[in-house]
Amino acid sequence: MQVRSLNPEVDGSPVSVADRPLQVRGRSFTAVVLKLNGAADAGFYGALESLMRQAPHFFVNAPLVIDLAEAPGLTEKADFVKLVRDMRARRLSVIGVQNGTADQDIAAFGAGLVCLQGGRDAQVPRGGQPSKAEDAAEETRGPKARAPEPAQPEPEAASATIVVTEPVRSGQRIFADRGDLIVMAPVSSGAELIAHGNIHVYGPLRGRALAGVNGDKTARIFVQSLEAELVAIAGLYQTSDDLDPSVRRGRVQAFLRDDTLCFEPLK
Amino acid sequence: MAKIIVVTSGKGGVGKTTSTAAIGAGLAMRGKKTVVIDFDVGLRNLDMIMGCERRVVFDFINVIQGDAKLKQALITDRRLENLAVLPTSQTRDKDALTQEGVGKVLDELRKDFDYIICDSPAGIERGAHLAMYYADEAVVVTNPEVSSVRDSDRVLGLLASKTRRAEKGDGGVPAHLLLSRYDPARVARGEMMKMEDILEILSIPLLGIIPESPAVLKASNLGTPVTFDTKSNAGRAYEDAVSRLIGEQVEMKMQALEKPGLFSRLLRRTA
Repeated sequence: MQVRSLNPEVDGSPVSVADRPLQVRGRSFTAVVLKLNGAADAGFYGALESLMRQAPHFFVNAPLVIDLAEAPGLTEKADFVKLVRDMRARRLSVIGVQNGTADQDIAAFGAGLVCLQGGRDAQVPRGGQPSKAEDAAEETRGPKARAPEPAQPEPEAASATIVVTEPVRSGQRIFADRGDLIVMAPVSSGAELIAHGNIHVYGPLRGRALAGVNGDKTARIFVQSLEAELVAIAGLYQTSDDLDPSVRRGRVQAFLRDDTLCFEPLK
Repeated sequence: MAKIIVVTSGKGGVGKTTSTAAIGAGLAMRGKKTVVIDFDVGLRNLDMIMGCERRVVFDFINVIQGDAKLKQALITDRRLENLAVLPTSQTRDKDALTQEGVGKVLDELRKDFDYIICDSPAGIERGAHLAMYYADEAVVVTNPEVSSVRDSDRVLGLLASKTRRAEKGDGGVPAHLLLSRYDPARVARGEMMKMEDILEILSIPLLGIIPESPAVLKASNLGTPVTFDTKSNAGRAYEDAVSRLIGEQVEMKMQALEKPGLFSRLLRRTA
């Protein structure tokens, strides 16, 4: 276990390795996931264009990831090449795919796309079958809590817990890139805690907490007082708007059960 | 050993310059040799609040760039010989400040003064960064409203990480909270944040509560630090804050915040 003070790498930038021709750094980016329901046909582009009209600036310069879970028809490299070209014609930059089959991944890779792992929305209980448009809006609603495509940590350092004893202020970001993150002070709104493992906050959590960012679905978040802006485990998130009022301001743990983000009071 | 104190906030318009002038004057009134420095290059205000704007010849930037000696730029207050002002330039911008230049000037000031008060500009960019960089202590001025509190929180994070003390591993710059423009009546009506809530969020020690007072604007327009107005509750609140700053134990007086009594209300009406 290592005890680390907030400084000097408070903004999440790793300590620089001086005088080397290159540096490897992990960084997380926000991507927009577009779920394709069926083929990339005229209906899809029509819905997409109406969405773009509603929010013309939302997609500008945003890296786009295509979710293939409901699009088994796209199997050929040519399909993906066409998709990328058609999207590009609408000034959208597709960078990769997710939830594809092995064949789809190979075809997508052949078309120059990256195959990303996991990372879905928390399932919001909802009555009835969602319409296509609704689903598209849902998928593109917010920034995804996505695991950074990691620069793999050195194998000898399997896990390392970071303990923070000072308040985590607005605008600060603490990244436990190899293990758990323990904060023994308040976490302000506008601050961000990110850990590959679990997150413990012995104080009010008013900022964001993202545990299991590498896709670890067993990661948990424990807080003394849940007032968070956003809580995410393995990419499944809930914002404060969605939080059940009964757990608000309480001593709570958050975990995943059947790919659903659950909150339970601590006894 | 001279102490460098930065007055900062992140947000604009919360009372940094007013507080710098008031604290500087308060320290000087107690016999401490004090200099106040304006870091708001391009939006020079401190000299006006201190009432010496017509005496500015050379400024902080001239000194940094070697065009003038420090002694030429320092303006000694006409009311208090212990108090000096180092005005800044109105025509230049923040890029004229260099870390090395600021450090040199502060080192020179350390020889002659007990307290060096740095008036930070709003924001978290170059001017604000250099104002806090060399500080030994910080006074974070906050208004009882959410945006000011969040910005103060951000600034506290920077004090803990982007300052020389932080770089040396001394745990950042210790900060005090100065709550300004506090109006107990509006707090009672739920229109303003409560002191307790702000303290809970920022979790730093409270240096003082400055009540919302017409005396502050009046003092600014006259070019007299509000501390000189010992009759006003804002002036007295600053005096108490200064006492705490130099380590005296002063009770957090709420009477300074109370509504005027019947007698004083009658007097005011006839006045």
